[in-house]
Amino acid sequence: MSRAGIRVYLQVYKTQIIRSMTYKFEVYGNILMQSIIMLASAYFWKALFKNSDTVKGVDVDTMLIYTVVSAMISVVLTCNVERRIMTSVDKGTIAIDMMRPVNVFGVFLAEDIAGITALVFQNMLPILVIGCLFIKLPTPAGPAHFALFLVSLFMAFWINWLIACMFGMIAFWTLNMDALIQVKKHLIRLLSGSIIPLWFFPAWLRNILEWLPFAYLYQLPLDLYIGKYPVSSAQCQRGLCVQLLWLVLLTMGFLFLQKRVTSKVMIQGG
Amino acid sequence: MEQEKVVIEVNHICKQYKVLKKGEGIKGALKGLVTRESRLVPAVDDLSFQIKAGEIVGFIGPNGAGKSTTIKMMSGILTPTSGEILINGMDIQKKRKEVVRNIGVIFGQRSQLNWDLRLGESYELLRHIYQIDKAQYEETLDVMDQILGIKELLDKPVRQMSLGQRVKGDLVAAMLHSPDVLFLDEPTIGLDISSKYALRKFVKEINEKRKTTIILTTHDLADIEQLCDRLIIINHGHLMEDGNLSEIVNRIAPYKTLVVEYYDEYAPEHDKCELCFHEENVAKYRFGKKEITAARLIEELSAKAQIKDVSIEEAGIDDIIRVAYGQ
Amino acid sequence: MKLLRELFHYLDVTAANIKIAFLSIIEYPANIIGWLLSNPIQFLVGFATIQFVVNEFGAINGWNYGQLAFLYGLSVISHALSMIFFVNGWFMGWWVLDGEFDRMLTRPMSVVYQFFFTNINIFGITDLVPGVIVFAYGCQKIGFCFTLANVFQILVLLVGATLIRGGVYLILGSTSFWTRSAIDFGAFTQELFDKTTMYPISMYPEAFQFILTYIIPIGWVSFYPVSGLLGIENGLANGQVATWITLFAGILTMLVAAGFFKLGLRRYESAGN
Repeated sequence: MSRAGIRVYLQVYKTQIIRSMTYKFEVYGNILMQSIIMLASAYFWKALFKNSDTVKGVDVDTMLIYTVVSAMISVVLTCNVERRIMTSVDKGTIAIDMMRPVNVFGVFLAEDIAGITALVFQNMLPILVIGCLFIKLPTPAGPAHFALFLVSLFMAFWINWLIACMFGMIAFWTLNMDALIQVKKHLIRLLSGSIIPLWFFPAWLRNILEWLPFAYLYQLPLDLYIGKYPVSSAQCQRGLCVQLLWLVLLTMGFLFLQKRVTSKVMIQGG
Repeated sequence: MEQEKVVIEVNHICKQYKVLKKGEGIKGALKGLVTRESRLVPAVDDLSFQIKAGEIVGFIGPNGAGKSTTIKMMSGILTPTSGEILINGMDIQKKRKEVVRNIGVIFGQRSQLNWDLRLGESYELLRHIYQIDKAQYEETLDVMDQILGIKELLDKPVRQMSLGQRVKGDLVAAMLHSPDVLFLDEPTIGLDISSKYALRKFVKEINEKRKTTIILTTHDLADIEQLCDRLIIINHGHLMEDGNLSEIVNRIAPYKTLVVEYYDEYAPEHDKCELCFHEENVAKYRFGKKEITAARLIEELSAKAQIKDVSIEEAGIDDIIRVAYGQ
Repeated sequence: MKLLRELFHYLDVTAANIKIAFLSIIEYPANIIGWLLSNPIQFLVGFATIQFVVNEFGAINGWNYGQLAFLYGLSVISHALSMIFFVNGWFMGWWVLDGEFDRMLTRPMSVVYQFFFTNINIFGITDLVPGVIVFAYGCQKIGFCFTLANVFQILVLLVGATLIRGGVYLILGSTSFWTRSAIDFGAFTQELFDKTTMYPISMYPEAFQFILTYIIPIGWVSFYPVSGLLGIENGLANGQVATWITLFAGILTMLVAAGFFKLGLRRYESAGN
């Protein structure tokens, strides 16, 4: 990639950070709402653990850490790319966007990373502070676990972004995707372990979910953080391998779709 | 003439907007998260006037002059910061629901028709909202059909209509409940010539047939020239001029322009008028009506150079605007 | 008499609006299929995950699985009703910024009424499906008796609960008049309501319960009236009185919200200034 190209992405990145900070009320509203939701989850677990010390090898303190970290991960997994593609296709500006000398998906990525950068300060840190004060200090299981958590979180970000981006590309073929986006959002919310860990799911469902990408957005990074399995355990290694496999698969899928979409736009002009 | 009844009375209205100050760059954005600086910008400042039944009044003024704000306050959309607006003697802020029964509103480029449905469905809903009984509804529709030929459009989905057809649809929608007063905010903006023509014809005819009082804002001077008995010029939220077109012209632009075509490129100056345009053989002289007569001017100019042709342009609305806006 | 005529007028326009809403969705049949898939999935899967947890722990704060299903089902039903009639509250920021209130302010009806009812969201019906399924399941599980009195109680409860939800949406949305920003309250409002109406609020700390009971009356959406109906001790309002308080709380919330909305409307600046 050329120097000039990188400069363009950096410029997009910077403008987008500024843009996301101008909506002050949105920022405070988000912090408030996310805190309430996180607190509610924490009390949900406290109520459940009232009569039991450990369930599925996990005690209440671990579950509280799980809740706080899950809320923080959700910041890293926010992206707007599907909406961006949709509106761009809707308004018919996508053809012009794609003719530009920079890769349009690169621009969308820069925007999303900028959005997340702003959110790290606007949301993640406040959530961490509130989590520490009112719920529990979310200490990781150990340095090795934490390192693997970071690796896994990094891959989770990419998996999430690629899924969203490929999902957004459906807009090139069908117009109204609101309902589809909702389905995807709820499936991720419920089947990724973001709210309720997958250990509680019945075995047959868990076996299926382990091979789907959802679990690698929340469940795997969270398992690593709380030290559900030892670093050297087979679950750990298999988890990271499957995550990597998904990352590779999705990247290939993305490159393939990008080609299809580009030729479609070039032929039809959007 | 029984045009004496005052329909709209505007007393000392002011409107201020709060505008947020925004810093620049990331630093400014960060600062904006904690502080909130704002300043008040007056959009309309102490405006008073009255409008009588059956008048067609045009509001003009440059962008941001406050004409849209004024018309939106008169139609009950914006709340004045101070002052009061009475329509048919009722304060529109205090008795909004009662007052708006008797007003119709058309905002250019903003439709009140349901995009997905047949035009008739939108009218049917309006009929319920305004509690118009079937007989009266049919009668109004007949009248509108004569002016605009609306009936053939009733079964057409709005999204399949041309812009011109949609405009017609909106005009009728605003008149279904037979309002006494019709507000039009930039009604001709973005319209092609035939749609503009239809709109103007409509405004004229409902004013004549139904004695509807009409208030419009526009940028199109032809609207004013062809429609308005009375002109109100607003700038910086103040009332600059109020009167009928020719009266305002006589008062603030009391001059004519003499266009002279000479046989060669030399155009002589004259001390009683201003040479305001000169290109090749053509020269334009602007002269005050009291300073000199056209005949005299031609006579004195022809003594200095040989004239091929002359014509006289009256001061028009553009001249008023130039003077009033101070440009 | 005048009041009665006015009421009739509003009912008449409501009927016309519902007709328009139905006509509009027929224009886009693909959409309804999408929502018919997406909404049930959301709530049915959501409910299933609760089941997994309850299976593991036995009960949540003394509520067994059948009772939780009853609570969850009723909560989803009132959610669905609020989606049909009040969902616009979530998106009020856009209405404010786009100047959509211009039209309503020039029509001779209450602006609050027009705001909610000129865009009835028939798609909300698709939320009713999972609600009814889970509710029926819960009823069967706990052997709920459908006497005439019980059905009446449930109807009163649903009206009150829907009004509480609508009132909260309206209050949140009305803040847009001050902030002038297009915040989508949907996702968070729904999560907040999910967390507070689909589980017994007795599991939360006292201060939180106090807020949910007296300040933002979300506790009355499902927890109090359902525990009243099922005879579970809630420490405040047991028996049928709880459903009536729900109705009262609903009307009160909506009135307060409408007042707040009207206050905001005075600051409305239309579009493009």
